[in-house]
Amino acid sequence: MTRKILTGIAGILVALLIGALIMLAEGYRPLATYAALFQFSLFGLSPLATTLKNSVPLILTGLSASIAFASGPVNLGQPGQLAMGALAATLGGLFLHLPAGLEIPLLALLAMAGGALWSGLAALLRIAFAMSEFIVTLMLNMIADFFTAWIIAFPLLDPKAFSPMTRQIDRAGWLGEMGGFSGSVLFMAAAVAMSWFVFRRWRAGYEWRISGQNSLFARLGGCNIDRNFVSVMLFTGALAGLAGGLVVMGGPHRFLKGLGANYAWDGVMIAIVAGSGLIATLLYGLFFSAIQTGSLGMELITDVPSEIAQVLQAVLVLVIVAGREFVRTALDRAEARRQARERAA
Amino acid sequence: MTVLIGILNGMISGATPILLAALGGAFTYHAGMFNIAMEGMMLAGAFGGVMGSFFLHSWPAGILCAILASLVMALIFILFSVVLRTDEFVTGIALNLFAVGATTYLLRQTFHVKGVFAGPGIVAIPKVAIPLVDRIPLVGQILSGHNLLVYAAVLATLATSYLVFSTRFGLRLRAAGYNAACLDSSGVSTTRIRIHALLLCGVFCGLAGAFLSLGYVTLFAENMSAGRGWISLAAIILVSGNPWGIALISLIFGLFDGLGLLLQGSGIASQFTSMVPYIATLAALYVYSIRKKGRA
Repeated sequence: MTRKILTGIAGILVALLIGALIMLAEGYRPLATYAALFQFSLFGLSPLATTLKNSVPLILTGLSASIAFASGPVNLGQPGQLAMGALAATLGGLFLHLPAGLEIPLLALLAMAGGALWSGLAALLRIAFAMSEFIVTLMLNMIADFFTAWIIAFPLLDPKAFSPMTRQIDRAGWLGEMGGFSGSVLFMAAAVAMSWFVFRRWRAGYEWRISGQNSLFARLGGCNIDRNFVSVMLFTGALAGLAGGLVVMGGPHRFLKGLGANYAWDGVMIAIVAGSGLIATLLYGLFFSAIQTGSLGMELITDVPSEIAQVLQAVLVLVIVAGREFVRTALDRAEARRQARERAA
Repeated sequence: MTVLIGILNGMISGATPILLAALGGAFTYHAGMFNIAMEGMMLAGAFGGVMGSFFLHSWPAGILCAILASLVMALIFILFSVVLRTDEFVTGIALNLFAVGATTYLLRQTFHVKGVFAGPGIVAIPKVAIPLVDRIPLVGQILSGHNLLVYAAVLATLATSYLVFSTRFGLRLRAAGYNAACLDSSGVSTTRIRIHALLLCGVFCGLAGAFLSLGYVTLFAENMSAGRGWISLAAIILVSGNPWGIALISLIFGLFDGLGLLLQGSGIASQFTSMVPYIATLAALYVYSIRKKGRA
């Protein structure tokens, strides 16, 4: 645990250093840039609230990827599941008109169902036809992308809009702000807490984790591998779908072009950096969100384009992951050498 | 008849980038690596191609820069997965995202545009008419007049097949995948073989990228590889890395790609026609799994 934290912090420092070198090479001032980056994401109530709000889709898709990777299924379908979740929530918001106390939870549930439907399709193809979920989920991402693009361009197009988007959802489905903090943060916190509980404390989560670590052992121990596979896919799909629903309900209140942005892939990246740990996913998600949120403000007061955030993120991932693996092999090697020496003596 | 020729020509140009990338991936597949970085290498290649062609005003320079950009990605992959022994899957995913981020950033930095860079300054790779063949009616229209890289892809298929199955390097390559410990104990470094395989993959993906940005279209768009790297990965898995099998699968995908383009004229929404290659991939996976079940 301590080693994980130490390599994480060291990795972040090295990555920021590499980022600084890139900026120097481009002729920017790294210190001033980083100062602006964190000034606009962490210092003050309003930047912090924005960072938290932006972290919602990152953390939820990251959690989805973390739980999937740690349990075995290579679910890389978060982008598609997020889009389908957002679509389901939008559909609900357009055609259901209930009081807010019912509408909001219902839309969240619909979003989860939308995401689970899309991941469930991949699970079905895997169980019934042994089609690798890895490629299937990737292909379903593209299909969901085009499908939602069609929905918002034709059947649900807002006639008053200049670019493809739906009408706004019922006002009862809007997630308001509480003390400057978006209501979607509450949903995220609940989802994180529940995921942690299911994954770490429930029997189902135990079976998932064991199946992920050693599928043969899990089967001999009496776990139903297929059933666990399906339930993990449904659970992680629902998480990614919820991310999409919350983006719609807390943000533009409609499905518009480019809604999913790069959230889901960033989420996958976060899961990878976090080594599929749930708490680590939460922390790295907040950190990545801080970088993304701050980069927009940074662009305003420095010349550095906000796209540097994407470069910084990828460098972070590579450096932290490689550092972690490198330390592990180095320690293993030292241990092996020590044992060899003991045996020789 | 013109429709048929249109479909066939669409098929050939749709197949080329997938074929080139998949041939590159075939080397790493045979070397026993789980290389999923073709997508990122191709994207980097596409960007490098536009850079080289625009600033050096020539398409050969564009191709060269495309290969160099893709090789940079391959070198990063080597550094992380072979030298530092990071998980290949993780490295691949991170590298793909790095390619998207870096090209988007560089697009903004060098050309000061967001999304798409197109301009008359980009020199496209020329189309080549094959002498004699282009005089034959019908056959000439189908076989001749394609982009130079289309013919390069055909040669690449031949070369890959020869390299993998008929040379000492190919034997070692397959040994690295079949039994790495055995290869190491016979005095050949598996690490070195894998590095060579990745470099070859970089070159091929660079060519695929150059075809995307200087042949298929003459522009660079954010994330323009659009999942072709993943489709090429599927193609490799479907035929267990056999170059001729890859060529066949790529042509089938190209056919659906071309059909999608053709259907756009018929009133079906373009979003659905764009889905076709991805659905075709799912269908191919389905057929593959059914066949495998039948054999077992």
